[in-house]
Amino acid sequence: MTAAFELRGLTAAVPGEKGAVRLVEEVSLHVRAGETLAVVGESGSGKTVTFTSALGLLPKPGRVIAGEALLEGEDLLKLSPEALRRRRGARIGMVFQDPLTGLNPVFRVGEQIAEVLRAHLPISRREARERAVALLARVQIPDPARRVDDYPHQFSGGMRQRVLIAMAIALGPRVLIADEPTTALDVTVQAQVLDLLGDLRDAEGMAMVLITHDLGVVARQADRVAVMYAGRVVETGTVAEVFAAPRHPYTISLFRSIPDVEAPAGTTLAPIAGSPPDPARRPVGCAFAPRCFAVSDAAGCRSARPLLIGAGHEAACHRQGAAELAA
Amino acid sequence: MSVTVEQIDAAAEAAARRRAAIRRYTRHPGFMIGAVGIVLLVLVALFAPWLAPHSPTRTDLMNSLAQPSATYPLGTDQFGRCVLSRLIHGAQVSLQVGFFVVLISLSAGTIIGAVAGYAGGWIERALVAVIDILLAFPSFLLALALVAARGNTLDSIILAVAIAYTPRVAAVMRSVVLTIRPRPFIEASRAIGLTPWKIVLRHVIPNALPPVIVVATVSAATAILAEAGLSFLGLGVQPPTPTWGNVISEGQTAITTNPLISLSAGLCIAFTVVVLNLLGDGLRDTLDPQMRRSTGKLL
Repeated sequence: MTAAFELRGLTAAVPGEKGAVRLVEEVSLHVRAGETLAVVGESGSGKTVTFTSALGLLPKPGRVIAGEALLEGEDLLKLSPEALRRRRGARIGMVFQDPLTGLNPVFRVGEQIAEVLRAHLPISRREARERAVALLARVQIPDPARRVDDYPHQFSGGMRQRVLIAMAIALGPRVLIADEPTTALDVTVQAQVLDLLGDLRDAEGMAMVLITHDLGVVARQADRVAVMYAGRVVETGTVAEVFAAPRHPYTISLFRSIPDVEAPAGTTLAPIAGSPPDPARRPVGCAFAPRCFAVSDAAGCRSARPLLIGAGHEAACHRQGAAELAA
Repeated sequence: MSVTVEQIDAAAEAAARRRAAIRRYTRHPGFMIGAVGIVLLVLVALFAPWLAPHSPTRTDLMNSLAQPSATYPLGTDQFGRCVLSRLIHGAQVSLQVGFFVVLISLSAGTIIGAVAGYAGGWIERALVAVIDILLAFPSFLLALALVAARGNTLDSIILAVAIAYTPRVAAVMRSVVLTIRPRPFIEASRAIGLTPWKIVLRHVIPNALPPVIVVATVSAATAILAEAGLSFLGLGVQPPTPTWGNVISEGQTAITTNPLISLSAGLCIAFTVVVLNLLGDGLRDTLDPQMRRSTGKLL
């Protein structure tokens, strides 16, 4: 089965003092219909930039300098801005991190949902409104016929995120990209929103990309996972594979830094020392080398970029075998 | 169709919200004084022919420069025209100038500023350059030149003053839009595939309007001042049509014997300006509860 959405060697950059600064480099990912791909990584690892640049939403002066973004086989990056605009919202939807400010405060929520429909379909105001009510019901807003005329400030954070999800799925897109959809919400609401997204994915047969930094969310929601570090994918595989036997030292360190309630009392967490490199000053070899517990000059960690190796479960590390030993 | 209990509740809720919103305005003393003052001025201008005791242009040479009396409550000018009647009719010119200048400069400035702020890149640089040049140019001089070139009819005065004020509105609009452009709902509306024009018209401008409306109200006052200034210099609306500016200017010759002529016209202008500024301040405080703090600092 071909992927509903696939990135091939996507590289995006912003102009810097000494030439282009690459925010994301050679990112290749794919997600199939009915499947959830989780993209994890710490802040600044390029998770969001990867997808905003694939959709032509990267703020200026950022720009894609190489790669393809295939939506059901069609390269979005080769489309005219107008053609790309017509795909956005209709065939590929995106939900952003902050639901509190994601809605225009001066218009009723129903009008904003209707606006998406009317931007892509030749339908009347009345019909758009009826469909907005149906969409609110679809995302489990109670009493949708009445809430459709409310303003965003009358909705809670979780409800606003539901409205944004309703807008993203309004036209039945094949791919839904959810960028940290629950980061701004409190824990009980997080679970509800994630369950809703999972249900919608199954009902619509959408491909879903879930950008997150929460490994718990990955374990619960995703089928496959891609771990990003310093603008690159460093490990990818099914959730089962990666969680059972992480191969990249960064992934291993991430798991070690999660608190475990079953650990004996007195156990200290193992944070990853240091911080991710500035995109303008990434090291020559592996970007993770300065923070890596398994770093080795002999293996070429400080001199050569590691490539993603493996079948299905891939990792970009010069010392994959050694890393497992060290763990 | 039957009406359910929920619908009645919803209607009551909406009515309560509207009442709360109206109360925000009625409880603001500046806004109320400004609003009442403006309504009074508009009524005076609309009903000038019925309110004025005499024709504003009828001369009574037997009674030139008369002191205030029962027939002429504010006395007469050197041609024996009733000063009160001239002031009442003069309100028409001043309010027309204020209204149309705001209408033109608000619409043009809003569009120009919003496009500049939202588009960015060379479009923004070009528009900002034009705005800056027009701002740097003394607006009164610009108005003088335009009136001199087009002839001093009311239309060309309005046009001249509007051209002078458009860049101010545009500059404010652009700076507000710059704060709105990075807000997530703009990114979200791009992600759902809205056209750039739709984003500007539906999402950028409505959110940027409150501070711009305040600027527009205050510039109505300065527009009225500008018209009065032009009329005072003899470049405004031509006599015998009365305007507050030319009443001051004509009263100048009799300032020692009958100071009330210039003084009362000056007070009319001052009253209008104060009332408009109070209205502008009131709008700033009440227009948007969320903006109440931030606009206070912005302007």
